[in-house]
Amino acid sequence: MGALTDKYCIVGVGETQQMRPSNRTTLSMACEAISNAMADAGLKPSDIDGMTSYQVADSTSSAHVATALGMRLNYCLDIFGGGSSTEALVAHAVGLIEAGYAKTIVCFRSMNGRSGRRMGGQIPGGPIPAAMAADDNQFNMGWGWTTPAQRFGMSAMRYLRDTGCTTKAFAEIAVAHRYHATLNPKAIYRSPITIEDHQRSRWVVKPFRLLDCCTETDVSAAIIVTSRERAYDLRHPPVFIMGGYARTMTESPQWNYSRPVIHYVAGNYGWKRAFGMAGISHRDVDFVSCYDAFTFTTLIQLEANGFCGHGEAGEFVKGGRLQIDHELPSNLSGGHLSEGYTHGVQMVIENVRQLRHRADDACPGWREGKHTYDRAKGCRQVKKARICCGMAWGWENMASCLILRGMAA
Amino acid sequence: MPVTIDYSKLRILADSDTRQWWEAARQRKYLVRRCNRCGHKWFPPNIPACSRCASLDVEWFETAGKGVIHSYVVVVQPIVGAFIGAVPYVVAVIELDDCREEDGTVTRVAGVLTNDEAEVAIGLPCAVVFEETNDPKIVMPRWQITGPAETTWKFNE
Repeated sequence: MGALTDKYCIVGVGETQQMRPSNRTTLSMACEAISNAMADAGLKPSDIDGMTSYQVADSTSSAHVATALGMRLNYCLDIFGGGSSTEALVAHAVGLIEAGYAKTIVCFRSMNGRSGRRMGGQIPGGPIPAAMAADDNQFNMGWGWTTPAQRFGMSAMRYLRDTGCTTKAFAEIAVAHRYHATLNPKAIYRSPITIEDHQRSRWVVKPFRLLDCCTETDVSAAIIVTSRERAYDLRHPPVFIMGGYARTMTESPQWNYSRPVIHYVAGNYGWKRAFGMAGISHRDVDFVSCYDAFTFTTLIQLEANGFCGHGEAGEFVKGGRLQIDHELPSNLSGGHLSEGYTHGVQMVIENVRQLRHRADDACPGWREGKHTYDRAKGCRQVKKARICCGMAWGWENMASCLILRGMAA
Repeated sequence: MPVTIDYSKLRILADSDTRQWWEAARQRKYLVRRCNRCGHKWFPPNIPACSRCASLDVEWFETAGKGVIHSYVVVVQPIVGAFIGAVPYVVAVIELDDCREEDGTVTRVAGVLTNDEAEVAIGLPCAVVFEETNDPKIVMPRWQITGPAETTWKFNE
């Protein structure tokens, strides 16, 4: 067990709606998400004395938010980062509180990911008239290879070749996460899909079809971390931080493609640390979340974090294994593929709600933790929700993980 | 069908680490970085130090520009304006024949094939070709399949 296992908790979560477009500033959305997280925790602005955020030069800052919400902070930091940053900022918060730099820290992301800057360089109004290829982009934009779909597709293609896996395995993930979105009133895409729907959807970049790719939305989301002692006084049963790893990298993180196996991703280097810190084994995990920028990124993270062997994920996910009421439910809110795109925050938020037994679904009593477990009536709560493993992806080369437990575990 | 790229919609902003690489491409040479201390080679050229021995004493190595396709994607939906008229085009990662080192280290580079999707497969040999652009300072390396191979793999969906 880690020295800080179970000493710190996630006590508040909140977000805006998933919007396309928001017609709002990232500052306005961040204030709403953080206000919702404070209300969820039963905290007021003067209780928050630390704030961190991440962005890719597309968002507001902690200083702006603290000004707007009337907070006087003892600590603030805005980092440059994408997927895998949420879990890293939670790890960061644990260390900061332990060291005495702050007592209660909110971590947020706010982005107009659809109506503002889109991943891969596109700006509103269509493709860039004359793209400027500087720095790393000199060696990818010049060959039309900039978007996450185009980049991760390269590793996915080699993966298919090396393992014999087919895109039917990608489809299993699209179907599972979409099924969960049908149980989530907040999700953008709520119509169920089949394996065949996936296989018939149009190509974006081979080997990825449209239904392999995540949504793009305008949204903000926030998470509040504090100590166990403070957590007991707050509104919900605390969710304990057991362990994790934070923005762990492979070798050669800026150029994946000369590494011996280009689909041997960063999680491989981290999971023993996370599970060791948490003091659990894979058998103790009741459900997972995976950073599903693409179906493939979910698949590869299950391997990388030891839920199955290398090259085995295609078999592992067959037959709906990742669906609720099956062996290892994944991304219970619908994830990036179907709920919306928060750059990773929503997976942690959903895991917290599940571990509290308060998934915000169609059950009339969800606020009191009363669920029917009847999927036909829209219940999204996992019956046995004690420990979850959240796996986050930056690129092939960067990953985070956050193992959480609820009061019952 | 040849892949047509509209280079008027692309500006390469070379910097102090990469200017010589682009200059070499203009002279139809394909360079990778090489460490003067340990001999390690790498790509892309904007990485200015040796990842094996951390030396900053680095030079250029002129490759023969020949290699094997290690992986590829077929871009169907374009994003960068220069490539709108080029879809579907194939971007490949290529393992260079003369950059295999004793410890098993390889150097792989990337670029757009001159061949289309029907012709590409993992394992095929290819060679660099240089394409002039509307910008006289920029000659763009592309890659052309040069023949068959015994063992190949192709995405057939």
